[in-house]
Amino acid sequence: MQRDSVFKITMLMPLFILAGYFLLLVGSQSAFFNFSVFMEQLSRANVLSAIALSLVAATCSSAIAIGIAIPSAYALARFNFPGKRLVDTFIDLPMVLTPIALGTLILMAWNTAFGQFLANFGLTLPFTLAGVILAQFTVVVAISVRMLKATFEQVNPRQEQVARLLGCTAFSSFIHVTLPLARRGILAAIILTWARAIGEFGATVMVAGTAKGQTATLPSSIYLAMSMADLPQAVTLVVILIVISLIVLFGVRMALERKR
Amino acid sequence: MIRIEKLISRRGAFCLGPIDLDFRGSSYLTILGPSGSGKTLFLETCMGLIAPESGRVWLDGKDVTDIVPEQRHISYLPQDLTLFPHLSVRDNILFGARRRQLQKALVESRLANLLDLLEMHHIIDRTDVATLSGGEKQRVAMARALLPEPRLLFLDEPFSALDATIKRQLQVKLREINQQLGVTILHVTHDQEEAFLLGEQLAVMINGQIRQVGPRDDIYYRPATLEVARFLRNQNIFDLTIREILPDGSLRLENDICLVAPGHAGATPGEQLATGIRSEEVVVIRPNKPIGPELQENLFHATIVDILIFGGTQTLCVRLNDSGMTVNAELPNCAMRDLGYAIGDALQVCLRKRSLWTIPLDAGAVTRKTHDD
Repeated sequence: MQRDSVFKITMLMPLFILAGYFLLLVGSQSAFFNFSVFMEQLSRANVLSAIALSLVAATCSSAIAIGIAIPSAYALARFNFPGKRLVDTFIDLPMVLTPIALGTLILMAWNTAFGQFLANFGLTLPFTLAGVILAQFTVVVAISVRMLKATFEQVNPRQEQVARLLGCTAFSSFIHVTLPLARRGILAAIILTWARAIGEFGATVMVAGTAKGQTATLPSSIYLAMSMADLPQAVTLVVILIVISLIVLFGVRMALERKR
Repeated sequence: MIRIEKLISRRGAFCLGPIDLDFRGSSYLTILGPSGSGKTLFLETCMGLIAPESGRVWLDGKDVTDIVPEQRHISYLPQDLTLFPHLSVRDNILFGARRRQLQKALVESRLANLLDLLEMHHIIDRTDVATLSGGEKQRVAMARALLPEPRLLFLDEPFSALDATIKRQLQVKLREINQQLGVTILHVTHDQEEAFLLGEQLAVMINGQIRQVGPRDDIYYRPATLEVARFLRNQNIFDLTIREILPDGSLRLENDICLVAPGHAGATPGEQLATGIRSEEVVVIRPNKPIGPELQENLFHATIVDILIFGGTQTLCVRLNDSGMTVNAELPNCAMRDLGYAIGDALQVCLRKRSLWTIPLDAGAVTRKTHDD
């Protein structure tokens, strides 16, 4: 019993230290936080614009990322094809590269004939919503693929085979059996992808810039406020970012729990 | 009903086949083989879940080799049952009917029949299949497989995870289903008792090859190869040589012991044979008991060297006095209680000619050593 207690304490101690550390990070902002400044900031057009842009861009980029990651991850989990290992490794590239480097890669790629071709259709990146979304998508899509691949690997292929023999086509078996069985993993991937997207800064700044009211997201607005030594505004924006993230993450988690 | 022609299929380094099979005129077919012999791969290839390397599969007279699984009208009950955990019991059972868009009234009537047949009214409204016992899960999986009224039902060791009592109940139920619903069943198993209980026709699969096909008695009493004989737990196997072909066609065999065995076409003196008898076919006779003429042949004096006690039977391990060879004889417990045998007791054993099987011994084939040395 005593050994069990020692084991329990060994596991719980780092958890509480970590939670305390995060509490310290958040709590220490109170010295700079002023509620009236907070409310005043919330009425500013550029702050509201940053909030709206962050929500829209993070939702779009994570939706596109999940939409592409689901079939990609399933293909990696289930099919064998030439060059699979290479593709699997290549997909991980955005996870090991710093976002600044990724942003540079995107900009350079848009300076090629391919980028010029897309520009002819009006798809330009600097100072546009498209640039913000593409930057966030590039950073988060690998995380989605990695998480979803692990999820699909846990779904027993025998379930899909039985569904096929009960009358499902391959696609219908995917819709009626695989996706519902992978539901929890997919929701976890959505949460993490969205959270990573709304906090994305490096690639977004490199690709879309930080034009106030245009491409300044909450993270880049925080950076701008800090660079101008406007601590109350920076802290206010941090608090807004934390509150929005907690509300969305908690909401999704509650929805997930209810579905269970 | 099921015809397989030169079927070859691979999974990794394992190669199944070439397999040629023609199951016609019987509605319950069992493929019996040890674990790892390729039974599941065979089923998966027949169902279209794995593309064969070569060969053709005919079901109901139709070549289905290039047809997708959902159009083969086969239902499948895998070893792990794989109920859909995100669906209720009712939704699991109705899954196939919904995908095939069967008429609601027809589905309801079939469901009612299956609930009666499988005695599962008490679980139909359960919302979580995880709360079902092993036997209940088995019934739900069976109902799900049967509701779309498939032409064929493929079973892959469906009872392997169940305890003996539930297993026997469901085996009996499966016979009922086979007879009442008229669905043809292809059942693969490593369980010999189950295979012989259920299968009208049996095929023995070893190392990815079909070694013998036939009615259950043929497989049980006349194994075609030594591999099959050993797999079917033939414990008394002897290497013998044909010394003489008797006027009635029987063979006089000699080596360490002399036996008279049934003849076969093409037998020639000097030919080496493996001869065997199932332990339950060995006749055990008290030393001074008068012996009828049918037991005079292949009669040996022996001594009990060991007694192995199983659930309802006991195996007497006896040493033949003249040759020193050991023979196993299986007797039911009640007979053993009446006979009161103990280790060291003397008796006689008769290896009746009609119970002996013979297999021409291929070069290199080695039978079980039956000497005590």
